[in-house]
Amino acid sequence: MNTQNHNGYILLFRGNDWLKNLSSEEKQKVTDQWMAWFRRLTDEGKAVAGNPLEREGKIVSGKNRVVSDGPFAESKEAIGGYFLLDVATMEEAVAIAQECPGLPYGARVEVRPVAAECPVASELKHEAQFANA
Amino acid sequence: MVQKAFARRVAETHEPEQSLDRKIDRSGQAKPGRALERRGAIVSGTNGRFVTDGPFAESKEAVGGYLVLDVETMDEAITIAQSSPGLAYGGSIEVRPVADECPLDVRERELAQEKQLATV
Repeated sequence: MNTQNHNGYILLFRGNDWLKNLSSEEKQKVTDQWMAWFRRLTDEGKAVAGNPLEREGKIVSGKNRVVSDGPFAESKEAIGGYFLLDVATMEEAVAIAQECPGLPYGARVEVRPVAAECPVASELKHEAQFANA
Repeated sequence: MVQKAFARRVAETHEPEQSLDRKIDRSGQAKPGRALERRGAIVSGTNGRFVTDGPFAESKEAVGGYLVLDVETMDEAITIAQSSPGLAYGGSIEVRPVADECPLDVRERELAQEKQLATV
């Protein structure tokens, strides 16, 4: 898990159902902490991008390219925002995720390595090598 | 076997997907976008004391990659999403507006305004 990755890591902030249990004061506190956290990571050169997402959106799917509403408002799995991190190991990325101010209230952070190339493409290359061997 | 067939189908569609990227890039509508590795971790609990493996590679809801678009309307973003060749093979795309500021702050302001109106 702790192999070097020069493409960085992304933190996906999952779930926004935990917010409804917070008082206004608590919400304000978490938001302020979150902003300060992002500013610090940016100053340290560890965060290179980050954005909150609106709680609305659409899902496009299927052969017929159907557009439907997504359950983004109060869902356990919905993504509320992301940070893009310029760190070299999974360990560092996880350590940063563990600082997330939403965690004590039930937020979850998904930590994913950014790929050098599409994993499907590299699998195909691997398969081709295997077939030629 | 199923996976092989899937890989073949992806091989057929992968080229168009790349050219879709290039096309959008050329038109200046795409900001950075990347594929994500299929492994990762989920951090949860106070002080992030739970670190579990995830998401699962085969999960229907797992995010495989992202693209940040520089377009003005949801319609434009949806049209671009609809041009993805992966859709025909079961993929789906979530289209979300990037917020200017945290939606939490906005909601708090609205609530404060409502409260103020209620007390007037």
